[in-house]
Amino acid sequence: MTVLSSLSLAAIAYSQVGDLAGPSNVVAGSSASIATTGSGTGMFYLIGPSVSLKREIKLGEEIVLASSELQNAGRYVGIVCAGACHSTEVFVIPAKPVSLTFLVHPSRAPVDQSDVISGVALPFDEFHNLALGTIEVSFQLTPRGAAPVSHPASTQGGIAWFRANSGRSARPLLVTASAEGVSAVRVVQQVASDPCGLHIKGQRTTKGIVVETEPVRDCGGNPVPDGTIVTFTARNGTETSTVDAPIKQDIARATLTTNGPVVVSAASGVVMGNELRMGAQ
Amino acid sequence: MDNEDQFRLLAKLIVIGLLATMTSLLATAADSSPQVVLNTSTARPRAVESLTERSLCRDYKFAWANLAQAMESNSNDLLSGLFAGAANTWLNDAITNQRRNGLTSRYLNQTHKLDAVFYAPEGDVIELHDTADYDLQILDGNRTIDNEHVRVRYVVLMTPGADRWVIRQLQAVPRF
Repeated sequence: MTVLSSLSLAAIAYSQVGDLAGPSNVVAGSSASIATTGSGTGMFYLIGPSVSLKREIKLGEEIVLASSELQNAGRYVGIVCAGACHSTEVFVIPAKPVSLTFLVHPSRAPVDQSDVISGVALPFDEFHNLALGTIEVSFQLTPRGAAPVSHPASTQGGIAWFRANSGRSARPLLVTASAEGVSAVRVVQQVASDPCGLHIKGQRTTKGIVVETEPVRDCGGNPVPDGTIVTFTARNGTETSTVDAPIKQDIARATLTTNGPVVVSAASGVVMGNELRMGAQ
Repeated sequence: MDNEDQFRLLAKLIVIGLLATMTSLLATAADSSPQVVLNTSTARPRAVESLTERSLCRDYKFAWANLAQAMESNSNDLLSGLFAGAANTWLNDAITNQRRNGLTSRYLNQTHKLDAVFYAPEGDVIELHDTADYDLQILDGNRTIDNEHVRVRYVVLMTPGADRWVIRQLQAVPRF
């Protein structure tokens, strides 16, 4: 019943179906018309992705489809009934993109990691149609205070993406996707990686043993974020006690209440610190 | 044959009749539900895990079954939770407009051949290409105004929800 002719964005081809001749494709948000033959009146129906309209028409005249009736990309069926019914098919194709949906992961990335940052960009036109033609997208990664790095890509099926390493310094990374004059920006916070070596020192006081780390940094010299947990362990023969302490301003500190001689150690994640031997009080 | 034998025979016939009816109903239900086949071998850059593949297949099938019911009964409620974003808005608008004009649509004998073409590195969006075959009937009241077998190609975007994958974009295209 329906015949599809070859489609083109620039040219509008016409397909003749029964008593109807309509464009085979229309750009979203444009008006179009369907030619009819015959005389008298008939009923016209347009069924599309979000449209189901019905109106009386005069046969032999053109049916004008308003731009507001052809906004959503997809397949539309135009039907004219006057006794018998005839139908024609029209595809509405996306218009020029005006916005980018931009998904970037993660929001916080540890420094110096391979392929840890990824982004996906999807261009949409003003009617929320996914723009499916090939579009050049430029992804730009700009660490604060440093030169940007570009990752050019093309959309395939309406999607462009990139994957990148994180930088060596803990600082915000501005990630921008730009295409056809439209851009979207996201920020990835690059944070210190795991601590690199953990050094502790301590002294006995009247309340117990006060132990603290030296400033905790990753292997790139970036201070490990506040709140990172350091576990202090005190062993006295077979007895073991542990205290978890968060890093605050680069240093984790704890008080171990013990009187006898102990061996104190510290760990954070998979990193172990030095051992500290403290004599009895 | 005494009364007890007659009673037993009657009971057996009733049970057999009920079983036959149930089997027939189940067969009809199975035939009318959408048939979905998903090929994930073409997904890039991330491979689709087998559990995700099963969930996608199940949820896509469920979404189309509900879409068909919603378009036939002009009930927006059937779409909730299965569609989101533009797809949800468009389908709800279509149903509202159908209801206003006394129209209904039937999507019958659906088969969907899905190819996963993009699966995001973090797994938060997947693009599928659906080559769908179905019989589309459009009715004005009780009068069938269009009845055709169609092959429609859809570009589909799905995202993971709390407990299922939801369709965010369901865009028919002339060709992939």
